[in-house]
Amino acid sequence: MKKKILAACLMCVMTVSMTAFPVQAEDEKSFVYGTTGYGVEMGDEGLNPHNNYSGWSALRYGVGETLFRYNDNMEIEPWLATDYEFVDDTTVKITLRDGVQFSSGRTMDAEAVKECLDHLLAVHDRAPSDMKIDHIDADGMTVTIYTTEPCPAIINYLGDPYGAIIDMDYGVDGVEGTTTGTANVAGTGPYIAVNVTETQIDLVKNENYWGKEANVDKVTVKTFSDASSLAAALQTGDIQGTYGLSYDSYALFENNPDYTIHSCATSRCFFGQFHYESEIMQEEAVRKAVCMGIDKEGFCAVLMEGRGIPAKAAFPDSFSYGNEAVTAPEYDPEGARALLEEAGWSDSDDDGYLDKNGQKLKIRWLTYPGRLEQPKLAEYAQATLKEIGIEVDVNCTQDHLSVLETGAYDVYVSSLTTAPTGDPEYFFAGTCLENSAKNRSHHKIEEVETLFEQLHQEFDQEKRGELAVQMQQAILDESAMFFVSHLNMGIVTKSNVTGMAAHPCDYYEITAELNVE
Amino acid sequence: MGKYLFKRLLQLIPVLLGITFLSFAMMRLAGGDAVTYMYENAGAAVSQEIIDETKAEYGLDQPFLVQYMKWLGGMLTGDMGESYVSHRDVFDIFISKLPATLLLTVSSILLTVLIALPLGILSAVRQNKWIDYLIRFFSFIGNSMPNFFAALVLMYFLSVRWNLLPVVTTDDMAKSLILPTLTLAVSMVSKYTRQIRATVLEELDKDYVTGARARGVRGSVIIWKSVMKSSMLTIITLLALSIGNLLGGTAIVENIFMWDGVGKMAVDAINMRDYPVIQAYVEWMAIIYVLVNLVTDMIYHYLDPRVRLRGESA
Amino acid sequence: MNKEKKVTIRRQKLRNNHIRGKLLFFLALAVLLLMIAAFAERLCPYDPYAQNLLEAQQPPGISHPLGTDRYGRDMLSRVIIGSTASIYAALLLVAIITVAGTAVGMVCGWFGGKVDALLMRISDIFLAFPGLVFALAVAGVLGGGVQNAMIALGVISWPKFARLARSLTLAQKESDYLMAARLAGSSTPKLLIRHILPNIAGPILVTSVLDIGTMIMELAGLSFLGLGVKPPMAEWGSMISDGRVMLQTAPWMVLAPGGAIFIAVMIFNLLGDAIRDYMDPKQRNREQCE
Repeated sequence: MKKKILAACLMCVMTVSMTAFPVQAEDEKSFVYGTTGYGVEMGDEGLNPHNNYSGWSALRYGVGETLFRYNDNMEIEPWLATDYEFVDDTTVKITLRDGVQFSSGRTMDAEAVKECLDHLLAVHDRAPSDMKIDHIDADGMTVTIYTTEPCPAIINYLGDPYGAIIDMDYGVDGVEGTTTGTANVAGTGPYIAVNVTETQIDLVKNENYWGKEANVDKVTVKTFSDASSLAAALQTGDIQGTYGLSYDSYALFENNPDYTIHSCATSRCFFGQFHYESEIMQEEAVRKAVCMGIDKEGFCAVLMEGRGIPAKAAFPDSFSYGNEAVTAPEYDPEGARALLEEAGWSDSDDDGYLDKNGQKLKIRWLTYPGRLEQPKLAEYAQATLKEIGIEVDVNCTQDHLSVLETGAYDVYVSSLTTAPTGDPEYFFAGTCLENSAKNRSHHKIEEVETLFEQLHQEFDQEKRGELAVQMQQAILDESAMFFVSHLNMGIVTKSNVTGMAAHPCDYYEITAELNVE
Repeated sequence: MGKYLFKRLLQLIPVLLGITFLSFAMMRLAGGDAVTYMYENAGAAVSQEIIDETKAEYGLDQPFLVQYMKWLGGMLTGDMGESYVSHRDVFDIFISKLPATLLLTVSSILLTVLIALPLGILSAVRQNKWIDYLIRFFSFIGNSMPNFFAALVLMYFLSVRWNLLPVVTTDDMAKSLILPTLTLAVSMVSKYTRQIRATVLEELDKDYVTGARARGVRGSVIIWKSVMKSSMLTIITLLALSIGNLLGGTAIVENIFMWDGVGKMAVDAINMRDYPVIQAYVEWMAIIYVLVNLVTDMIYHYLDPRVRLRGESA
Repeated sequence: MNKEKKVTIRRQKLRNNHIRGKLLFFLALAVLLLMIAAFAERLCPYDPYAQNLLEAQQPPGISHPLGTDRYGRDMLSRVIIGSTASIYAALLLVAIITVAGTAVGMVCGWFGGKVDALLMRISDIFLAFPGLVFALAVAGVLGGGVQNAMIALGVISWPKFARLARSLTLAQKESDYLMAARLAGSSTPKLLIRHILPNIAGPILVTSVLDIGTMIMELAGLSFLGLGVKPPMAEWGSMISDGRVMLQTAPWMVLAPGGAIFIAVMIFNLLGDAIRDYMDPKQRNREQCE
């Protein structure tokens, strides 16, 4: 009796699993893409670029396009616009590309662009303060933008995903009115979304695309919240491409002819800030010793499985003002120890940790677990700094923001996309000035403040780069911050997938180039 | 009976009030709020003014009690509020996630009963024989294995190695259902097999069984007719508890298999400090708890004459 | 007839010996486990916290029997040192909720009325409260760490013991011997501690020993959610969740702590079963009747 039941159960399971093989049409090319980067938690659900970070999704999945785009050195290139010209410090004239159509059928002209940008400025939280636009004039295929003050980076900001140009006649609403997670838009990209939810986007080829016709007919973008499921799904072939695979899973796909790994250093940087209001951190020797006591190379090679690029400063190598342009302290435990002993620290009670005037050299290391690298870095630094004689008390908590308010930390390690628009001003304004929202050091470096004033007014790209280098160097010379690594963004696909590449800006994932052979 | 039912449902009110207040208080104490988290996760710098403005829009800047009373007021008029994160109506969100959880609950309970019942009885009937030891051994293993571990092992063999099943939920629901169901069944089957074995053993020792045996009733008849009937009480109590647990969603399993149910909704909401959604989840859990208790009691009434008689005389 | 009776007595003795033997065996195993946890530091072949990136992710071999983790730390040493946190935390937690829950349950069962109704409603609230929300809230208020994970688990687990103790007390309250003791003029605390407690201790003890295993797993589950110990402290649950993504590439990082949890849970569960067999009055009575 029991055996019969059991056998029946097994049979059921078997038949269900056997009969349900996926049916695929031969002549139609399709691609299923798994990502950890889409969803409510990332703030980029839906495709409405005027909502929070949803513009990233519009840009990433080939639905929306911006007036200007970034190349692999994060320099500006024309896209939906063909040219721009600064008439004076507060006026810029932009010429639009001819023959571009929204997926709604409307032709893109200056009027459509103005409508879109006006709506963006009216509802978005970051765009108005970034671009400082006073008003916009539309005339045929020419858009003229007037700013309230000189805004040299405005062209860069127009390349930010929120600047994706969409047809406002079509609207930005989701199926349930105000719902952002299902918001579909009419963009100009190679793909059109036919179904949008908070966990999945179904795309079809845009037959009227202004550029090269897309190779793949159907694309499905699926959210994953568990990294091991993502790796397993790629292995089974449920998905053919992944974004956001955990470092530990790369070993499964490396040196394997069935898979291709595309990777690229992004401007997401992991860095630490020394809390100047804490007594122990006011001592320069201690700050310097901590900087010298962090083994960036080892961390990137072993703990990040080679998926991290050791950083000297805020911007990766691909930027003209990136890593190579500055000098930062090397990993040197002996040197750090010598430096501390010179400053009067010694291990008088023989407990392995240094002390001075009865005070132990102990630093409170604050970070949060949201980014996998951060707890790992904390645990690794704990060990390397111990060798120098510095005790590290790690506080890795989701609630790091309230700890920041209480001030109970010595080092705060976090990460930030330092140049989302290819321009350096953003990072310094947000993080390094006395009044910056993310200046967790609470430092004030005069040189940085004065240089920033110059940067803010400078229109010449080369000079802006030079200023950025000087400012980073000033911060490093002060030992006010330390930069550990840049995230190496990885896209892993089946080897028959081509035309998918990782970009330093992390925006353009599904493009017309994508092909499945 | 109607009066009794009414009285029991009345008890729901203090529990609901207590539990929502407690969760409201705890989440506020826990610190952090949806607005800050939303901007923080996206990783770009946003000025403090913007954050404050958005907070005020959601009423997050008001004192805790005011927030709670507002929420409660909304609740009483049937308005559960809207999610801070997705701006959808909380009730709609909840209802849209419920079917997935219900489906998984039903399938895993069915599978559990189908496997555990025969195994438990077999194990009891063949007490201290090799088959008993084998079943007990495996049930111990299943019982001492965290379910995320079971999930990963099953995923590795059934999907990656043998490529039989999809890893995460796909359009093919039947196939997608198998892995999460199996994962949940592993620990439940282990627990139930042991319990059923113990219950059946206890019943087998009773006089009526000896009597029936002496009268020459066949073994299998005794088991299925008499023993099963009296073991039902224990099994149903257990089942009710499990169903209660499962209806609350199985956060870890739902997350691993991207099963878009209530548990995943809760974890996401907690991670994002999306208070209105968390509140809805907590309420749901309280309702399940009270209802499950009620249903078990009623089944007791129905099945066990002893309880029924005592209940009526009291 | 006489001969047959002798045989039964002998069989019963044998059976009792068997039960006692089983109990002693698992008790010995449990004690061994506790000893390992107590002397963990001395048993470690390597410093469990010493990192060496050159030896990171080595598979099990002669120098590292259980391999190394991604920081190059010896897994065997970490599993051994991890036993302290995992086992003692679970033991302490179970002890506290058993005592607290039993006390509340006895009070409810004995006094009944409004006290009972109030305390049971409170226990309802905690039983119905989703553990996940609670655990995360506790972590938010008090921060991570073993103590706080224990607080979170304790607060939502005590009602189970309160309910058990309450129903057992209710049953005892009606019994004849208690009537007699009451008539003899014993005070309430004396009645509760002298007369009721010894009579309800058996089932409660069995439940709490069986709960040790559950708590080890629950603590591991909390670590999985990032609520467990602070780095670099070793704890089985956090070791599993740490190595979870490596299941395919470096399986020993999950299997070593997973195996340890498995063995520990198994020992405590089997011990619980053995105690039940030994103490179950029904079983003993039945054997005496035979």
